[in-house]
Amino acid sequence: MIRIGFRLALAYRSNILITCVTLVAQVFLLRMIWTSVYGARPAAGLPLEALLAYLTLANLQAFATHTIVVSTAHHRIRVGTVFFDLARPVGYLRQLASFQVGNTLGGLCLLAPVVPVVLLVGSITAPADGPGYLLTLVLGYVIAVELALLISLAGFWMTETSAVALFHRLVSQFFAGTMVPLTYFPGFLGVLAEALPFKYLGYVPAAVYVGQISDVSGAVAIAVAWVVGLAGLLVLTWSRARRRVVIQGG
Amino acid sequence: MVEVLRALRLYVLLQRASARGAMQYRLNTVIGILCGAVWQGTGFAFVWVVMTTFPSLAGWGLAEIAFLYGLRLTAHALAMIPMISVNDIQWVVREGEFDRFLLRPLNPLVQLMGNRMGIAQFGDLLVGVTLLAVAAQHAHVRWDVWLVAFCLAAIAGGALIEAAFFLALCSLALRMIDTFQLRVFVDDVFSKFGSYPMKIFGGVVEWVLTFALPVAFVAYVPASVVLGKLDSPWAPAAPVLGAGLIVLAYRIWRRQLDHYQSVGH
Amino acid sequence: MIRVDGLTKVFRRPRTFSGPLGTLRTLVTRQYEEKSAVAGVTFEVGEGEVIGYLGPNGAGKSTTIKILTGILTPTSGTVEVNGLVPWRDRSANARNVGVVFGQRSQLWWDLPLIESLRLVGSLYDVPAARFATSLKKLRDLLGLDDFLDTPVRQLSLGQRMRGDLAAAVLYEPPLLYLDEPTVGLDVLAKEAVREFIVETNRTGRTTVVLTTHDLADVEALCRRIILIDHGRVLFDGAIDALVDQPRRLVVLLESGPGQVRGVSRDADGRYVFDIHDDLPGLIASIAAEHTIRDLSIEEPDLESVIKGIYAR
Repeated sequence: MIRIGFRLALAYRSNILITCVTLVAQVFLLRMIWTSVYGARPAAGLPLEALLAYLTLANLQAFATHTIVVSTAHHRIRVGTVFFDLARPVGYLRQLASFQVGNTLGGLCLLAPVVPVVLLVGSITAPADGPGYLLTLVLGYVIAVELALLISLAGFWMTETSAVALFHRLVSQFFAGTMVPLTYFPGFLGVLAEALPFKYLGYVPAAVYVGQISDVSGAVAIAVAWVVGLAGLLVLTWSRARRRVVIQGG
Repeated sequence: MVEVLRALRLYVLLQRASARGAMQYRLNTVIGILCGAVWQGTGFAFVWVVMTTFPSLAGWGLAEIAFLYGLRLTAHALAMIPMISVNDIQWVVREGEFDRFLLRPLNPLVQLMGNRMGIAQFGDLLVGVTLLAVAAQHAHVRWDVWLVAFCLAAIAGGALIEAAFFLALCSLALRMIDTFQLRVFVDDVFSKFGSYPMKIFGGVVEWVLTFALPVAFVAYVPASVVLGKLDSPWAPAAPVLGAGLIVLAYRIWRRQLDHYQSVGH
Repeated sequence: MIRVDGLTKVFRRPRTFSGPLGTLRTLVTRQYEEKSAVAGVTFEVGEGEVIGYLGPNGAGKSTTIKILTGILTPTSGTVEVNGLVPWRDRSANARNVGVVFGQRSQLWWDLPLIESLRLVGSLYDVPAARFATSLKKLRDLLGLDDFLDTPVRQLSLGQRMRGDLAAAVLYEPPLLYLDEPTVGLDVLAKEAVREFIVETNRTGRTTVVLTTHDLADVEALCRRIILIDHGRVLFDGAIDALVDQPRRLVVLLESGPGQVRGVSRDADGRYVFDIHDDLPGLIASIAAEHTIRDLSIEEPDLESVIKGIYAR
């Protein structure tokens, strides 16, 4: 499954190329907007350099950890090939997760050559806390995959999950803070963003990288709690879903 | 003229049929519209979040940016509601469905446009019009009939510019050249760079976005005129350019159609 | 009704590239792949005829039909359908022809059949009164009543085909192209389709061009066939003439010489004799010289005749 996901990522390389150009354009746009607003009024909090580095990283992460497993799983449920997946000796959830991980690895290979360009356009600094960054990033990725798997399982109840998946992607990107660091979210929105798990996909690792978050222990503890909680929810949902498949037989 | 009216009548009939088909998946339709609205909503939420902390973006206030954003979005929605169906062209050609359009006594482009209703695009329209309406009251503009008429013409022009690029790229699919990814990219550039004051991009990029890919004319130029940031001689630029480009795009479409080779002989 | 002269279609498409920048390279390439699908086809079809346009896969049948219907523009040659050049007067030509593709439906997938028919009526500007009488006739003839209000995606293949036939003749075109109209249907459904074609041809003097791989269709419907392969016409004429050949006697011998009365053994070890008049005499004369293990008589049939032509 890892290999299939990997291959699939490579098979769509012209796709990825455009994605990369899009990524560069996005980072450039953000850079210009933020430079402009900072120029009008010097900011409190993050200096411009750190902010640009943050945005560059957060967007790179968002692109690299983008999950496609929902649409693949949905397609297989709709055309019925999911039954082949269920008949395999390896657990369904594990198959989906492996597929996604393989796909991400493939995507990373293709993303690699673009990274220098993105870093140049976005300007980057040395990491303030390298190990902390990697740790929070991995935890964030696990949370992202778990959320994607949850939505994939929803396909056993709903005939159409693409809209939900898109919705999830938009909401998660926004609350991950890929365009605005969470510290600039006003009032209620800020509280909401702090409470949701999406911040671990973008804001937390990137903020650790640029030194905005200096003590990672608190963030890591809550992230681990999310990982465990979501895993429990996944297992529960899957047992329900399986019963449903068995009863309905399709 | 008679032929145009007939095409319009049949387009409405086809569109109604596809809407009736889509209504069988009602929940999907609602979610589709919602998605469109949320997609554009989060885009603007970014501007709003930034501008609660920083009051000015290249000299434009929140209401002014909202006006620009709304203008771009409304034009985009009006372009894509009728055109989104053409986005399926690669699939339509490959499945041989395009052959069927050529077998019927109606312009194949009209049939293609009537094939599917743009659902999410109504969400775009919702957000765009709301932004325009709210921003128009807060942006310190002295509204009169002429200015409103100009706005309508500018929206039509902007919609035509976007539609023209879209149609020209789609028509290449008639020769089995897949431009889907390219269209996604162009659409992305229009939406990302068309919704902000061009000034912030500076030099080369501003020039490219004005003269190479005329993103600036979709909303930035008209909005600048309305908000008194640009002299009125620029006012007719968007509608004129839109009309010119759409004619050109249709010519390209016709040319590609002559080279259509069907599939599986 | 149809006049085709020296029709040639060469497909020329840019080489497609894959990989990064593949689209771009495809767009600007000067390299082309050429393939001629139809190479100098000439024939005529008269009003009210039902002809079978036959050939193996890839012979150029579909390409011819696509040119006749105006979907494709030929490379060279002239075509006139009911006085029109199809690809030049595409819209006018469309009103003159009904087309059924067995592999694909022209109906709206999510709508009830009746809605599809109404849409077709509108597209072809059929006045309401004429639509009503036409529909009434088709409902009886094709037995549409059972599934007129069912969404097309829920129809069985046979029902769908009947719906497609109804859509193709609703505006009473003088010419009908049927591309494998019985493919995948069961025996009864095939019979219904054939009866409908016969009826339409008889009452409306509708000209029918039929392509099919089912020779039973051809035998039931066509008096004349055109055979093509590799883009060329191999045979054009009456079926009767084609199958007007002697019956044949096929003999298997215990063992023996390589030659029996001037007939040599074929690859399967059989001896094949044309039967002229005296069958018992023929058998007796063979039996007199050899030991017969088995014998059978083959009627001339369309399939083997056509196979023979392709093999030439």
